[in-house]
Amino acid sequence: MIVAEHLVKRYGPVLAVDDLCFEIPAGEVVGFLGPNGAGKSTTIRMLTGFLPPSAGRCTIDGIDVIQDSRAARQKIGYLPESTPLYTEMRVTEYLHFCGRLFGMSRVERNKRIDAVTERCGLSHNKRRVIGHLSKGNRQRVGIAQALLHEPPVLILDEPTSGLDPQQTLAFRDLVAELRGQHTVMLSSHILPEIERSADRVIIIAGGKIVAQGTPAELRDRASRGGAVVVEAIATPKQMTDLLQPLKGVAGVKPEAIGNRCRATVSAKADADLRGPIAEALTKAGHTILELRLDAPTLERYFVEAVAEQVSEGVPA
Amino acid sequence: MTLTIAKRELTSLFFSPIAYVVLVAFAIGSSIFFLQSFAPGNPATMRPTYDAVVWLLVFLAPAISMRLISEELRSGTFERLMTSPVSDAQVVMGKWLGAFAFFCVMLAPLAVHAIVLELVGSPEIGPIVTGLLGLALVGALYLAIGIFASAWSQNQIIAFLLTVFIIAIPTFAAYYAGGQTIPDPTIDRLIGYISVNQQFADFAKGLIDIRNFVYFLSGTALFLFLAVLLVQSRRWR
Repeated sequence: MIVAEHLVKRYGPVLAVDDLCFEIPAGEVVGFLGPNGAGKSTTIRMLTGFLPPSAGRCTIDGIDVIQDSRAARQKIGYLPESTPLYTEMRVTEYLHFCGRLFGMSRVERNKRIDAVTERCGLSHNKRRVIGHLSKGNRQRVGIAQALLHEPPVLILDEPTSGLDPQQTLAFRDLVAELRGQHTVMLSSHILPEIERSADRVIIIAGGKIVAQGTPAELRDRASRGGAVVVEAIATPKQMTDLLQPLKGVAGVKPEAIGNRCRATVSAKADADLRGPIAEALTKAGHTILELRLDAPTLERYFVEAVAEQVSEGVPA
Repeated sequence: MTLTIAKRELTSLFFSPIAYVVLVAFAIGSSIFFLQSFAPGNPATMRPTYDAVVWLLVFLAPAISMRLISEELRSGTFERLMTSPVSDAQVVMGKWLGAFAFFCVMLAPLAVHAIVLELVGSPEIGPIVTGLLGLALVGALYLAIGIFASAWSQNQIIAFLLTVFIIAIPTFAAYYAGGQTIPDPTIDRLIGYISVNQQFADFAKGLIDIRNFVYFLSGTALFLFLAVLLVQSRRWR
């Protein structure tokens, strides 16, 4: 549905987006992730036809965004970064204006405005002036506006910035409802928000893709070579002596807690140490109280992937 | 689409404080000019008022137009507008039309002056109407220059100054040059031609000359076209 082919964007001498390629099939929810200044908004602006790419091309539902710009734009519901709105207008007034820009009839607009304000939790604020709304409610107006003309593609740039935790949860529910009906691209620099909503995550840094996959895949990749935390009834010395010789163990960090010992065992390369550790401890007659992989969060993967990219000397 | 944008522009103008400053300034300014010639024994005509008011527009029209695109560039709403399925020309035309409608509202006090004149004397209706038409054409041109300047910068002050600067050429400069003795008759005629005030003078007199129309309409079209080009240039810059 959304295809980016070798997208490049230069701002003078600065290379903001460097040969970006990806494809988002219809109905998928994709998280577009990266630190600030990674080129997320620039990429999104090229996809929505606001900025022309320096090289490469992008298509929305097979329509070239530059060649047939207006037809492509008709298919996109877009929430720009920092949610620009006409603050002097009332919520419904603004939505009517947006609807007219997308060529919707009055009947259609009335019906859809009721639907989207309901869906975005704006029913009580419909008549209010946008400038008087809280940041969270303005964000909702922006999302409502993007949904208004029932576009097949939704592109939301930092949709959860400015929302409080409860509103963030409500937003997650909204995205869950949209899954399947729309192709959704969400950008963020906050990983947990995307981790739960997205079918797939694309991580960019320095204008390049540094990783992509489902949240589970990325988590799996992050956990490989990760540490194992084990707690057993043993002394730190016993623990080190037992575990250090095991194949694939890089180091053991024991820590005594009463008569128990908790050890963090780091692994070499891709080894999964849980099996061998359990076996060794049981054989030696130590009771295992806990054994787990050290919380492989996407957050960590994200930080590592970005750090790698940056250490390669790519300008961020 | 164009009308949708025009309507929004007109409504939003009425929400901006600058609009009221402009409305009040014009009402007061035009009334002063009107009262100066409104005395027993003077001819019952709007002509002196019109001739003075046209100078007022040099500053008031740019005050209306300065925000047209600048404001949206600054607030970021321009991005939302330009990613809607509307063409660059529709955006520029819509905004210009909205501003032009506001400009016509601003001229309303002149109609009141004309009615007052009608009540106490018996003025000729023809020149009153052609004068208003002429002012509308001057406004159309100035606002087109204004929207072009507004597309340059997200700073409204810069847009305002740039507009006044461009307008100053066919007004102040031409007025000054018109007072000099220029040996070359071609240049002399050229200066007379580009002078907004001279082009407008015929309308104030009650004349409708196709050449005056050509001057204002082609000037307006030229600057609207340049504004569209400027907005478009964002796509290949």
